[in-house]
Amino acid sequence: MIVIEFLLTLFIASIAAGALGSIVGIGGGLIVIPILTLFLGVDIHYAIGASIVSIIATSSGAAATYVKDRITNLRIGMFLETATTTGAIIGAAIAAYLSATVLEAIFGTILIISLVPLVRKIGEEYPPRQELKGLAEKLNLRGDYEERDGRKIEYNATNPGKGLAGMLVAGLISGLLGIGSGTFKVLSMDLAMKLPIKVSTTTSNFMIGVTAAASAGIYFARGDVNPLITAPVALGILIGASIGTRLLVRAKNTAVRKIFALVLAGSAIEMILRALGF
Amino acid sequence: MEHDAMNLKDPNSMNKILGIVLRAGVVLSGVVIAIGTALFVANHSLDDTSSYLAYNPSSIPHGSFPVSLSSITSGLLSLDPFSIIALGFLVLLATPVARVALSLFLFAAERDRKFVYLTAAVLAILLFSILATPLIPLFNG
Repeated sequence: MIVIEFLLTLFIASIAAGALGSIVGIGGGLIVIPILTLFLGVDIHYAIGASIVSIIATSSGAAATYVKDRITNLRIGMFLETATTTGAIIGAAIAAYLSATVLEAIFGTILIISLVPLVRKIGEEYPPRQELKGLAEKLNLRGDYEERDGRKIEYNATNPGKGLAGMLVAGLISGLLGIGSGTFKVLSMDLAMKLPIKVSTTTSNFMIGVTAAASAGIYFARGDVNPLITAPVALGILIGASIGTRLLVRAKNTAVRKIFALVLAGSAIEMILRALGF
Repeated sequence: MEHDAMNLKDPNSMNKILGIVLRAGVVLSGVVIAIGTALFVANHSLDDTSSYLAYNPSSIPHGSFPVSLSSITSGLLSLDPFSIIALGFLVLLATPVARVALSLFLFAAERDRKFVYLTAAVLAILLFSILATPLIPLFNG
């Protein structure tokens, strides 16, 4: 393949990945990795390096657009990020001793199982109001945001311990498999902490950038971040993320939830296919 | 009343600063990467990609593009497109770090001591893993 064709293909795919990723709070690796390995014949290590680039670009690109609407809950994100970054470092350190195949199979299975509770609340516009108590009260883990029609949505987080445990696992998976594990982060905030879905996806968006930045140094120094791949991915994702963010603030919560469920099913299938050696 | 001076002790202006820094980081990184790409395309648009995408598992770094700060710096001086793209990536990488660092000031402005400590912990872990782990053999499998 010639350079210009390669760059354009990857650029267009990345715009789509950035738009989808910024809506559902994932890094876009779901689209970028298979395009690179299956379609463009790129080595999996470069594909994972590109996924790191895509995660940081989605996170920062969305954040730069979100500033005005401020749905992201920085407090909840920062609280959970302590567990995610710790998990990511541990994961990166022990990755050499564990089989990626087994991990992918386990992670894929977890994602499939979590489809059940997610589908059960598929029509939920907002979660029922939770009581602010315990650790969540001590750390004031609550917030509000304004929908486009002017309604102010207030919420309290519940089960911060479970959320923290979920994030430790998400961090471990990130460190071990070199993926953003945004799906798992959104699941933890949605199912355990009972946050409104837009708060979960935008807060996950904040978190995946920080987690990916933590491991980016290692990938960059190793030479897994190839500039010919980085350039179209970063540019495409930044554009896609700003489009996706504008769509998200207008979208209905039930729509975001449905798109997330589809993405979750897609990630689960991708993980299991990877484990099977495709 | 509306002086709009950037006061580091006022949560509202801290939020504004955070937004401006994020946006500036994203735009700067996008522009730098676009310049590098344009320079590369100008001379190599019809090259075959295979030589640029060769992955060598037995050598560190695995590719034949610059990854060390010294090689990127000297590449920048000779306007090497791959060094310019690497610089753009490093700016992009700095934005989430800046976001966490500035949040520290935001929580300080809100006089939220617990979150100042929490954010400091996240920042410490983040800096450790970016700066130190690439040097530790355990992480370089």
